[in-house]
Amino acid sequence: MKEEKYIIEKAGRANPFRVPDGYFDTLAAQVMARVDREGVPAGSLCVSPAGRPAKVRALRPVYYAAASVCALLLSAAVYLHFASGPAAPGAAQAVAAAQAPDDGFDEAADYVMLDNQDIYACLSSDY
Amino acid sequence: MKDTDDSRIVELLQRPETRRAGFEQLVRQYSEQLYWQVRRFVLNHDDASDVLQNVFLKAWNRMDSFQGDSSVFTWITRIAINESLDYVRKQKLRAQNTDADLSLARQLQADPWFDGDEAQALLQRAVASLPDVQRTVFELRYHDEMKYSEMSKLLHASEGSLKASYHLAVKKIYKFFKSHD
Repeated sequence: MKEEKYIIEKAGRANPFRVPDGYFDTLAAQVMARVDREGVPAGSLCVSPAGRPAKVRALRPVYYAAASVCALLLSAAVYLHFASGPAAPGAAQAVAAAQAPDDGFDEAADYVMLDNQDIYACLSSDY
Repeated sequence: MKDTDDSRIVELLQRPETRRAGFEQLVRQYSEQLYWQVRRFVLNHDDASDVLQNVFLKAWNRMDSFQGDSSVFTWITRIAINESLDYVRKQKLRAQNTDADLSLARQLQADPWFDGDEAQALLQRAVASLPDVQRTVFELRYHDEMKYSEMSKLLHASEGSLKASYHLAVKKIYKFFKSHD
């Protein structure tokens, strides 16, 4: 790239900055003194082991999403289990109950399609 | 050699009883390299020293954020670049009503720890005027001669976008030089 060559010819790559003599000799001690003064206690930190596969980290959102869906399904199953009445169905029956067509859902679906006048009419009737 | 040092440092950092010793080893190993990276952004020695100390303090306090999917050096370099850019942004906000380029020219001229000639000072002024991403990519490529593959891991960007940033940065710096010829 001719522009890069031009810049290198003009300014070079040499470091134009300096530091006071002995600066790096005392730097580590200064840093550690500040860490001791202002840092959190060493025991309160938790450091991961090196070399954890990047794939594991990349899949973490997927794991969280999967865990959320499982929690939701479990909550729904528990709710349906208690909402179905005193007789506690077996696991297979609970699953079947969750999967069975729900007339209440159809009613709700119809309800949301009602306009205001219809809703008022329903509320004022002898349901 | 660096990989062995990194693994050793991480081992020490994992146990509370050796954590401080491990961190001190990390500081001794990388402080000079990180200092120069910071210095190229903030320019002034005292400011660079402050920012570098903040980098290490942040690294210590956020050690939990090191997940082991990059080297320790890559992790701390990311912190250093972010801290440097934050510092530069705050400086720019403070100097909003002044001519930033003129102010920088005067600053470099007056700085006892800047030994560069006119062209090197012009380069610093040109680089300081770049947007953050272009500036970062330019510094890492031009001065550190970092490979794009390494830069990609450091900055979480594609090699293509990094090459494009560098190309744009070089063009702008060239134009800056030409306008001051």
